[in-house]
Parts: sequence; structure tokens; C-alpha cells
Amino acid sequence: MSRLLPALLGALLFIPPISAEKTLPLVAEATGADLEAPVPPPPPSDIYRSVVRVEVATQVADYRTPWNSGRFSGGTGTGFLIGNNRFLTNAHVVSNARRILITKRGSAQKFPARVIHIAHDCDLALLAVEDFTPFDDLPYLEFGGVPPLESQVRAIGYPVGGDRISVTRGVVSRIDFRPYSHSRVDSHLVVQIDAAINPGNSGGPVLQDGKVVGVAFQGLRQADNTGYIIPTPVIRRFLKDVADGTYDKYVDLGVTEFPLHNPAMRAALGLPDDGFGVLVASVLPEGPCDGILEAGDVLLAIDGKKIDNSGNITVDGEKVVLHEIVERKFAGDTVELDYRRGEDQRSATITLKPFPHARIFAMRYGERPRYVFFAGLVFQPLDFNLYATYQFESPRVRKIYQNYVKDALFKEREDVVILTRIESDRLTTFITGFAGSVVNEINGTKVKNLRHAHALLYAPDPPEFIEIKLEGVPRPIVIPSAEAKAASERIMQSAGIYRPYFLDEAPVSAE
Amino acid sequence: MRTILITLLALLAVSPAGLAQNKGAAGAAKPKGLVRVNSTLQSYSAAQPWERTNPVRRRGLGAVLPGKRILTTAEMAADATYIELESSDGTRTAPATVLALDYEANLALLAPEDPALAGWLQDIKPLRPNGAVTIGETVNIWQLEDNGEAIRTSGTVRSVDLLSTFIEGHYFLAYEVKASMQSASSSYTLPVTRDGKLIGVLTSYSSKDQISDVVAPEIIESFLADVKDGTYEGFPSLGIATVLTEDPLFRDYLGLTDDQGGIYISRVVPGSAANDSGLEAGDVILRIDGKAIDRRGYYDDPLYGRLFWSHLVRGMKKVGDALKLDILREGKPETITANVRRAPEKLIPDHIHDSPPAYLIKGGLVFQELSRQYLEAYGDKWQTRAPLGLLDALRNPEDYEEGRNRLIFLSRVIATPATIGYENVGNRIVTEVNGQPIADMESLVEAFRQPTDELHMIRIDDVPYVLYLDAEISDVVDKQLLESGLQSLSRIRE
Repeated sequence: MSRLLPALLGALLFIPPISAEKTLPLVAEATGADLEAPVPPPPPSDIYRSVVRVEVATQVADYRTPWNSGRFSGGTGTGFLIGNNRFLTNAHVVSNARRILITKRGSAQKFPARVIHIAHDCDLALLAVEDFTPFDDLPYLEFGGVPPLESQVRAIGYPVGGDRISVTRGVVSRIDFRPYSHSRVDSHLVVQIDAAINPGNSGGPVLQDGKVVGVAFQGLRQADNTGYIIPTPVIRRFLKDVADGTYDKYVDLGVTEFPLHNPAMRAALGLPDDGFGVLVASVLPEGPCDGILEAGDVLLAIDGKKIDNSGNITVDGEKVVLHEIVERKFAGDTVELDYRRGEDQRSATITLKPFPHARIFAMRYGERPRYVFFAGLVFQPLDFNLYATYQFESPRVRKIYQNYVKDALFKEREDVVILTRIESDRLTTFITGFAGSVVNEINGTKVKNLRHAHALLYAPDPPEFIEIKLEGVPRPIVIPSAEAKAASERIMQSAGIYRPYFLDEAPVSAE
Repeated sequence: MRTILITLLALLAVSPAGLAQNKGAAGAAKPKGLVRVNSTLQSYSAAQPWERTNPVRRRGLGAVLPGKRILTTAEMAADATYIELESSDGTRTAPATVLALDYEANLALLAPEDPALAGWLQDIKPLRPNGAVTIGETVNIWQLEDNGEAIRTSGTVRSVDLLSTFIEGHYFLAYEVKASMQSASSSYTLPVTRDGKLIGVLTSYSSKDQISDVVAPEIIESFLADVKDGTYEGFPSLGIATVLTEDPLFRDYLGLTDDQGGIYISRVVPGSAANDSGLEAGDVILRIDGKAIDRRGYYDDPLYGRLFWSHLVRGMKKVGDALKLDILREGKPETITANVRRAPEKLIPDHIHDSPPAYLIKGGLVFQELSRQYLEAYGDKWQTRAPLGLLDALRNPEDYEEGRNRLIFLSRVIATPATIGYENVGNRIVTEVNGQPIADMESLVEAFRQPTDELHMIRIDDVPYVLYLDAEISDVVDKQLLESGLQSLSRIRE
């Protein structure tokens, strides 16, 4: 399955954004280019100096009352110095941050920091302190490769249970393509170690032979002594992506595969029984392969690497999913696909591009929730945060959400606008049961996005009744235009809604 | 309604005769017109539709009617593999057959299978159905002690309303009796009498509220009258979905004045009486057979006060009767006559009791016809836990009706040599097999007779969208499945 599909896996849980510790590489490059240490690695205790504690005050938006400020909270994590005023940590440590403070090992002084780049899809972030002078003498941590199975690693950080730095030893027990729980939707390469990663460890370096082989980032709630780290290929990709000053996110093939184990299916597709080739079950509309691949094609090779019948390729002697190839590439890069259509053997060069519509399935951070309020009715665009907040039960809402990308619903609905709440008022007494439905039409016009809904609801020359048609609801909601304005003011006053709409996504900090 | 109730179920009264006198409201009395009904029920497994689930036993009381007919609830007889009549003292038994069963109204009429074995029924003085209840009056609910003594519990009729007591969504006239009953065997359902006449059949009892729901005598009489004329037709319906009009804004929008009532028609079921009569979505029904319908759908019943309008159709009419509807269409009054009849068959039936689920196994792929019962098998939270695609079809059947009589879906995949790699595919709607559109199980069976190049091609509505089966290997697999204990590879609806 493509990683663009909503993977509602409950298994992986965040390590709460509590602490991260860091180690430092010696090379002075600010970005994370591969660092061959020009000087011999310093003793561990010296490296540990560059692992810092990250203290974060957060403000988490409340999608149920989008006009409110949200919840003020906080936590700590770990970070580590990798270059001139560049601290690496997890995205989840600094998500929704309103204030970030960095503390050096063995010091009580707190230095204000800010987010330079944040990548929610691979759970990494780069921080900088306002004044780097106190950190000038610290070595930069250096990156190594992917640690082999059974090799020993050390996780360094500031986990719960004490204020001082903590070191945990573990053994690499698995290397796999796994979900990254921070965004709820992305999967990348993960190294599993048998050391427990605890809240506060997040963002901390995992070392082998004095080099960083990963960033501790999540655990498994139902298993003890299982920790997951972000390995260096993912870290390097992130650092390379931000080298030009912006984070462009991951790209995806936009293809759903189905394993080709079945002999009859192979025969129907004209394939020999040789264990190679994976079925293209569907092609994402408007994705990079749209117009090139078709459902029913068989993918045979990607960038010259043969694809087996489960969709795996062999890289450096290890079996990995074919998406690993795309994983390491960037928007604008190309990928060569060999595939079979009917009797034809074909090749195509695919230019990779981001696919923003699929982010409807990803958790959003640091954004102020958009909404429109009108005469007691609250409209919000459907995304993961909204879905998780309201736990919509209507099969129609669930189906529209699930098929949003697959069925190209984004072509007609840039936003799926949901009537989420109906505030109490004499105008709304008899319609409260309609909350939780998708808005199809307002005054006979199909609603394209939230801004459009706002324009239709607040039209300067409205008809006698504002007529709102909801998906799967047997009758329209009608609000007499003559009463709408007074009702809006009255209800905003009583429900504490201080402004009638918020339409712009406000990104938090620089990204 | 069934939720709390039936705690009386199979509990055996511990103490001997004469216990549990309840402030004079209950007491031992001569059993009249009572017989024990013991049924063994076995429905079919949702996951493995070729086999029945473990048997469930229910023990209730039936009312003996003239002519050795026994009236009880449909719940006592639905999916029954064996029904037995037992004398009140437990000394005589006789197997019974079902003469008529109405799942919607929750009534069943039984008779001894072999009258020669049921001579003892002669000695039971029959009950006769009679009249209507009055709110506030006292009625008697009957139970039996193990020794055969009858326990009579008197209670007050608290209210009359339309209740759905068995199949969800089917509402019929019923009343509530407030009475404190005791545990006794054979209490799954109980007859209710007044002045020695049958006046209802109890469908549920809540020990917490001490409230019993009882099927009203009018419904029993309609049921018996329908049986009497030979073929049992069932209760009629109009075939509309409605929305109330209490919202004053909506009323203004529809052009309804404040002194009018009215219910808004949101959908007309294709092939229904309403559809034939010319009713349309958007019409507002103001009066039914001259009775004004208020904005919440109630009319003034001369006997029971406010009753929901559907009683005027389902409770007061029989199949073929005319119904006069005064409606408002785009603000103008019109009169429409509908000849009510049985509702057309649904794409996804409300229930499939006593009709074994149609299925087909091909090479290990298991296909079924979707029913609400299949989804309900996902447990208490089925409305969120059942597969989304199938739930959507249940909620919005109009989007799936075209070209279909039933919704065929691939329910699961049995791991066989033919289904390698398909093990995780399940609960997908089937659209086409071997190029043939699939309208029901018959067409599916037919389509599988025509493989192309020794391959079956099955199109489904989700990943991987197409499945292939080797025709020859599937046939071998099918044979092996039969040898391994599967009694049949398919079942077609009768």
C-alpha cells in the first residue's frame, strides 16, 4: 500500500514530547551533509556536552472550539548540536511550540531557541538559539551509517526520572519500513532497538562508535524495551531538503500496489511464475504516475532494481519496499519505472512531485484551525485533526474522508466542509441533530472550500432563505436571511465566539 | 425496547407454589388458555453462512386460541428448528408447526404438528381475543409455576404507543403495563388478558422499571384475520421517509401556516404504494384519511390520544386498502389516494430470519448477499465497527440499487491453493464476474459458469479491484472443501 493512504494504526505511539538529548559531530558544516570527521572522535564525555535539553511550552489548538486559544501545555525533549547553531531534534518535541528553551548539560541557564525547519512527515526539526556564543565551544555530532543488526548502540538523552543526562545501551533488533506516528500517515525506514526509549529521550542521538546512527523518536506501548530510532538516511534526506532554505516534504509515487502471489492472477497478467512483479491496483489521480501508469499494470523494476511480487527491492543486500527508492528523492527528481501492460513491456520516467491533497490524512501542527460561524452553525474543513476530534459516526462522512484522494474528490471539493456544531438558540432548537454532516450546497451552489462557503453564507445580496443542503440528510437547513445577522451576533455573544471566521492557515514559525 | 427486558427469561422459580404474592396484585389462579412453548432456534453464521450457529433455547407461554391455535411472539419462532408445546404442569408435550409468522409485528401462530399427539390440548379452555385497551385500566399478565399453577400479575395500562419490538424500524401499536413480576420459567413471552379474554402478547419486561411492552389487541386481530383468509400477506406500508416540521424556519420555508401540522416527505421508495400514487419527495402530508397530522407526525386517535401517523397505515389498513392523503405540494393543496400494500423488497433486507443466507464459495472466495443481519453480527457497536463500504450501502441503498436485486459482496477468503495472496481481502462489493454484471446470487452463480481461458475474473469495489481464479484449480479446491465437511458450495434464495 502506498504510504499516502490513511494508516489508522493504533500500535505506535508517540513518545510524548518531553525531552531529547543530543550529541555532537565535530564537523562545522551547518547542514547535515555526510561528515567524515577530520579529527579523531572525542571521548564520549566530550560528545555528551553537545546533547541539550529542549524545554517547550506549547499551545495546542482545540478543533472543537476553533475560535478559542487552545490548550496551554508543555514538555521537554532532547536535541543535539550538528553544526553552527543548528540543533537537531524531533518535530514532535517542538510542535505547537510557543516558546523553546535550550539547556546545556550541567548548566541551569536556559537559552531561547526557535524552529528553523520542521518536517512533520519524518518527525525531525532544526532549532537555533538566539545567541550561539555560549555553545561556541561545543563539538558537532557527526553522522554514521545504518547500524547493522545485533550491533550495540547507545541512546543519549534527558528522559523522565531525573535531570541529568541518561545513557541507555541497546542492540539493533530490526530494520524496517514502519509508520512514523507523529503525522499518523507517513512511513519511512526505522531501526528498532531493544533499549527502552522513554518520554524525554525524543530527539536524542543514538550513537555507535562515536557517531550518530539515529534519533530516538518513538516506542511501542504494548511492548517493553522496544525503541525506534530515525536512521541516518532519513536524517540526511531532511538535511539535504532544507539545504536550500525550505522544507519541500516527501514525494510519493501515488500508486497502490497489490502483491502478485496468486498464480492465476500472474497467468491473467501474462507473467511467468518467477516471483517478480507487483500489481498496480490503483493510480492516484493527479499524482506523479497519473496518465502514465494504469490500474492493472505490473511494476517490474524501479531505477533498474527488480521488484519482487510483494513490492520489495534489494538495496545493499537488504530487502526494502520499493518506496525506499522514492523516499530518498526530492520533488523534481525522476524515477525510472519498468512495467508491463498486457503483452507490452514498457518504461517510463516519472517526475516526482508533492501531493498536498494527501495531507488531509496527516495530523496538523502549529496551525490555527479554520472555521466559519453563521447563525449558530459552525463549519470546518475536514482533516485528520477534525476527524480525530469529532469521531464522526456517519458512514457518509467516513467514506468521503477515506475516499478523498482515491476517488479524486479533491477535484470538486478542495475542502470537505463539515457542519460540525450547532450552537443553542431559538433558531436552531430543531436542527441540532444535523451536526456532523458534510455540506454539499449552499443556496444551490456546490461548496468548493471553506472560503467559498463563507462567501455563500455571507453573500451581500442573500435570498429570502439561506438554504444549506447536507450529504445524506433528508431535508435542507434553512435560515431566514432577515434574521441571520441578529442571530449570529446574539449567539456569538452567548457562546463566547469572538470572531465569526478564520480562513487562513497560519503557519507556526518559519518552515 | 428489547434492551433492558427479558430478564425473566429462563430463571426457574425456586420456591414451591404460592410464593411471591405481590400486594394482592398477583396470585395463584386457575390456568386458563395457557400452554408452554419451548423453541430451539438456530440462525446461520455470518462468517460461515453454510452452517448454523449454536442453538438457542427459548421458553415462553402461548395463548391457546379456539381451534387449537397457539399465539405467541415471532421471536419464539423465528429461525426455529424445533418448537414444542408443553402442558402447564409439564407432563405432556407435542411438536408444533408455524402457521403464520409476522416478524415486523412480532407475532406467530402455531398449531400442533400432529393433532393425535396433542389430545391434551382439548382440555385447555381457549382464550378469545377481544377489544381494545383503555389507558389506566387493569390487565392480567400470566406466568406458570413449575407445578403448573398459574401466577397472575395485575398491572395498569400506562400508555399506548407505536413500538418496534423485534425487527428494527417496524413500529406497531403496543401498550405499556406497569406491574412487578417475578422470575419464573417459560417467561420469554406471556399472554395478557382482561376479563378472561386475550388482550395482548408481552414482548419484553424491564425489571428495573417494572414496565412490560405488550402487542396491542388490534394488531393481533389484524394478524389473525389475515391468517384466516388463507394466505398470509402481512401488514401494508406506504413507502415514504419523512421529516418532522417542528422547525419554524423550515415551516416558513415550506409555506406552512402556524395552524397547520404536516410531515415532509424526504424520500419516496421506488416501487412502493406512495410511488405509484404520485407522491413526491418534498410534498407535505397534512391529513391522512381525514385525520390532521401535526408537525411532529401525530394525529388524534379517538381511543388512545396522540399516535404517530404510521399507525393509520400499518395498523388500520390491510393490503389493498385505499388511503386518502391531503398534501401540500409547492404550497398548493392536493389530494392523493394511495393503495397501500406490502413494501417492495429491499436491496439489503432488514432481516433474513428463516431464509438461510444465500452464498457461493468459489475456490475459497466466499460471496454472500448483504443483509442488515450480517452487519449486526459485528456486535453492539456494529454501526461503527462493520465494514464502512457495506455500512454505506445499508444507509444509502439508493446509490447501489441500479442493476441489482441484492448486494453481492465477497465476505471473506478461505486460504486455499486457489486464493494464495488474497487472504486479506474481504468485505468488498462485487460488481462484475467474468464480464457479467452481478445483480444477485443467481447471476453470480451463472457468471461463474463462464470462465475465459480457464480463468475467472472478479471485479470488486476496492483494492485490488480485480481478482483472478484458476477455474480448474478452483474446481478441485471446491471438491476438497466439500470433502472436508462443507455441506454445499452454494445456496440460492428461494
